[in-house]
Amino acid sequence: MIMNVMLDVDRTAASGVAVQPIVSLRGVAKHFPGVIANQDVDFDLLPGEIHALLGENGAGKSTLMNILTGIYRPDLGEIIVDGQPVTFASPVEAIAAGIGMVHQHFKLVKAFTVAENVHLGWSETPGRISRDLLEARTAQIAASLNLAVKPGARVSDLSTGEQQRVEILRVLSRKARVLILDEPTAVLTPAEAAELFKALRQFAARGNAVIFISHKLDEVLEISDRVTVLRGGRKVTTKPTNECDKRILARLMVGQEVVLSNMRERKPGAKPISDAPVLSLRNVSARDDLGNLSLKNVSLDLRAGEILGIAGVAGNGQKELSQVLTGVRRASGGEIHVCGKDLSSRGAEEFAAFGVGHIPEDRLHSGLAPALSITDNVVIREYGKAPLSQGWMYRPSAAAALARSIAEAASVAVPDFKMPVRNLSGGNQQRLVARREMRIASNVLVAAYPSRGLDVGAINAMMSYFTELRDAGVGVLFVSEELEELFKLSDRIAVMFHGEVMGVVDSSQVDVETIGLMMGGQRSLEAGSAEEVR
Amino acid sequence: MSIRIQRVPSENMAGGLAARLIAIVLALSIAAIVFAMSGADLGKLGAHVFKSTFGSRFGLMDLGLIVTPLILTGLAVTVAMKVGAWNIGAEGQFCAGAIAATAVALFVPGPTILVLPLMFVAGAIGGMLWILIPTLARAYADVSELITTLLLNFVGALFIYYLATGPWLDPSGLSFAATKRLPHDVPGFWGDVHWGLPIAVLLTVALAGVLNYTRWGYEVRIAGSNPAAARYAAIPFRRHLIVVMLMSGAIAGLAGMFEVIGTTHRLQGGISNNFGYIGIMVAVLARGSAIGVIAGAALMAVILKSGIALQTQGVNISTVLALTGLILFFTAIGDELSHYRIVRSKPA
Repeated sequence: MIMNVMLDVDRTAASGVAVQPIVSLRGVAKHFPGVIANQDVDFDLLPGEIHALLGENGAGKSTLMNILTGIYRPDLGEIIVDGQPVTFASPVEAIAAGIGMVHQHFKLVKAFTVAENVHLGWSETPGRISRDLLEARTAQIAASLNLAVKPGARVSDLSTGEQQRVEILRVLSRKARVLILDEPTAVLTPAEAAELFKALRQFAARGNAVIFISHKLDEVLEISDRVTVLRGGRKVTTKPTNECDKRILARLMVGQEVVLSNMRERKPGAKPISDAPVLSLRNVSARDDLGNLSLKNVSLDLRAGEILGIAGVAGNGQKELSQVLTGVRRASGGEIHVCGKDLSSRGAEEFAAFGVGHIPEDRLHSGLAPALSITDNVVIREYGKAPLSQGWMYRPSAAAALARSIAEAASVAVPDFKMPVRNLSGGNQQRLVARREMRIASNVLVAAYPSRGLDVGAINAMMSYFTELRDAGVGVLFVSEELEELFKLSDRIAVMFHGEVMGVVDSSQVDVETIGLMMGGQRSLEAGSAEEVR
Repeated sequence: MSIRIQRVPSENMAGGLAARLIAIVLALSIAAIVFAMSGADLGKLGAHVFKSTFGSRFGLMDLGLIVTPLILTGLAVTVAMKVGAWNIGAEGQFCAGAIAATAVALFVPGPTILVLPLMFVAGAIGGMLWILIPTLARAYADVSELITTLLLNFVGALFIYYLATGPWLDPSGLSFAATKRLPHDVPGFWGDVHWGLPIAVLLTVALAGVLNYTRWGYEVRIAGSNPAAARYAAIPFRRHLIVVMLMSGAIAGLAGMFEVIGTTHRLQGGISNNFGYIGIMVAVLARGSAIGVIAGAALMAVILKSGIALQTQGVNISTVLALTGLILFFTAIGDELSHYRIVRSKPA
């Protein structure tokens, strides 16, 4: 890392242009309870450049930009603008210093017109002004920045691309010299994206700078002049984009030092992988809560005694996949078979009855009732069975006994089982959920991001639970965004992108780069031609 | 060494009780100071309040009559809370139950022994009908039951005024705004106190049992606490929501039935006496425990009866209401504080 910084300095010196960065970050660190969001980050933004910030989910991109725009204050390190150290108490101060951000989810008032949105919360907005004058002002600013907007239109009537242009206008009208865009193309059509890129190049050409946050490799290569890669909250490197290709970027983004520990090896006496799949999907599609098709024609087979990893950047259909596989969400098309039985149109009850356990993404919101007692929560899968229930009677004493045995299996010390489950740490909640689900997972366990937000001890516990199940002949479907974990544990890895499976690969015969490329939308290399990537 | 305040995870029973006692004592002390400053004779006032509550047979009977509807409305609100719904409309369901029971009393001939069960059922159904629309709106269109149940309160109260001054007005001409004396009574249990009181208590105990000792009760708990978790565990949230909300309405309707048949014996405007709203306070005091409703209702009954006693001594109604509010306010603070403890620790 130090090497790279020195290289940058050398290059700048060598090119003979001693350019002062518009903005620099020096040694920036930000810690949240239990999480290092940023550590030792150095970052320079030069005038005239479009600088891509690349990293996986949770790599610390958003935190870093929130620090730069005054939303967070760094725990350590400093922000230097035009050579002067500054501190921002709020985004207003950051924008006053010329740093503005367009968030992924727009922050516009939908019922207001474009002109009103542009002038909202701006000290230069005249105290009294007519609608016509306000719109004229807006049109004038837009023209001077070469951004086509309709000043009189209501924001709610605009397309996403147009709304984004209003956001950009809002930032630029305040004389921003640094424009930060958080995954701006995620919401755009290709034509709108091309339009955006043109506007960004013009903006940068005027001596301003753009920070472009993305995890799409193609885009980064297309638009940026330099690229900084973050991983695990730290800066990996900053490189001129023309020295990179997709392969290099993928490697930098996901990291090379994947520890291939032997969790894939079976214990003696472990059940072998079955020939017939215990869970199989054929052309399964599903819609998300908003009705968008977020799972498209997915076909997968999971065999007994194997762990199938699901890789991909979060939000590419993994959530819907795990819900469809456990009956929580109905598939809109295709077939799902568990042990040869068609469960396509069945609900969560039947899936549980057929031995499908489910560790849901976001345990507090869907896997637990946070305000209820630990006992109530850990018996949620078995309250209807003997000995907890006899007929319509429910026996709290039997429930308490089961809760004690689950807590013991999970090695969670519980002072009081009547205590609300939300008072336990995230790691302990997840251990209890996992042990609870393992009890019913006689055929399949679907685990969605089981290690998200946990400390190392709890993560290791999760991993050992899964190998325990695998060795007992259960099929485990393991969704994660951590490639290291996936490689450690999975026998095969399926990669998802935009709701589709890009391919299923044998994890002992694939490298991280290939997975990284597939996560970025590259189809599986079934022909085995890794060279085609370029 | 530093001292900090820490929130304790599970509440502590003795602490909670102590906090409530301190709250009541504090509120009464403040009230005493205010009364003393305005020149009232504290000893005389206190003696009068005691005599008209615990200190006499009539006082106790009045308490019994007041506590009956409060237990039922408090239970109605508590039961709805179990499934995650706020039934602010116990007042309206109370009115509907009273109207339905009165209709049976007025228009169904027969001996009391046969008509009484009919009135009981009518009261429950009346309350249920009154909460039906809010229930369905919440279950199928996610319309906040808070608003809909509240608004129907006014409809219920005004409907009683209409009936009692219009079509059902006492034909004898002896009263201007009430029906005639209803021909049936709920049998007496102790003096003026009718069988509504033991039935309310039994109903509370039975429901507490059902909620704690049946599979259904467990499912309602999960569904009410987190519908997403219910969906995940294949518990039918909507079905439980509908059943429990209708139950809640039925219980509030029974409160109205007992009030009109057992206590006032006539349907008249203002019969609900805010019992439905006070039921919300009872439920809050009971903190979601069905059994706690009995204690909460008893406390509210004493406060209400003391207020009436104070009014007869020339203390104005605003002062009485302020005192009631003060007690509840202090209790709420006490409840919250009982979740904290002071710990001494060395700074990390």
